[in-house]
Amino acid sequence: MNIQQIDAKNIYFPPGGILMWIIIFLELITFGMGIVAMVYCGKQEPNLFHESRLLLNPVYGVINTIILLTSGFCMAISVLYLKTGNKQKSKKFLLITMLFGMLFLIVKTIEYKAKIDIGQSINYNLFFTFYWLLTLFHVIHIIVGLVILGSTYFGLVKEKTSIEDFESSATFWHMCDLIWLLIFPVIYLFF
Amino acid sequence: MKKHIIITYVLLIVLTIVSGLTYSVADNNIPSIILLLSALKFIGVSFYFMDLKKAHIFWKSAVICYLTILLIVVLII
Repeated sequence: MNIQQIDAKNIYFPPGGILMWIIIFLELITFGMGIVAMVYCGKQEPNLFHESRLLLNPVYGVINTIILLTSGFCMAISVLYLKTGNKQKSKKFLLITMLFGMLFLIVKTIEYKAKIDIGQSINYNLFFTFYWLLTLFHVIHIIVGLVILGSTYFGLVKEKTSIEDFESSATFWHMCDLIWLLIFPVIYLFF
Repeated sequence: MKKHIIITYVLLIVLTIVSGLTYSVADNNIPSIILLLSALKFIGVSFYFMDLKKAHIFWKSAVICYLTILLIVVLII
């Protein structure tokens, strides 16, 4: 594996690569617009949004936040180990990262099932339309992130993954954390 | 380096639990506090987990600007 030092202070080489950061900003702007639209609609119908928000269980949101932060922590440690040449520990932490990502999906599935069982689907009201759209769009990012991490793991095993690719994958995974950190408070706690 | 990541992680978990606990508090300022806590977590993840603190000032400013604009817009609406 090619391990080389990149000058992160260079404007063209942010950690994870400039293309990944362009994607991150596009994603953040997209989710940001969704959040602004939700807050705007919430101000038009405050009672509906408040009562609907009370139908959500914030414990699921807090648990999922802790799961994603733990996953992000393991990813950061994994990158650190790879940079110091400890590939075995890097692989171990990458696996733990993926495990927490899957745990996030399991908790989300339980939450979604509970909502569908009592009829609170995407058509229930405007609050739930935003809830389903924003969280499902985020879940899709988590699934894509897991596929990327899986491919990175096998690349690491076969010694085909460079440190830049590994860092880009990690940056994508952290982006999922960032998006969740924005949508979690607005959906579960704000209204 | 590893120590910074561990400290950041512990702080992020504490901030998440504090955000969760504010759920039951009835106060007009709670939404602003929740958003501020969330902004702190966002900075923690981007600067320490994503290593943005080592990046060029442009990228750091871009993240801070995005966060500031989003918070201001959400709080003004």
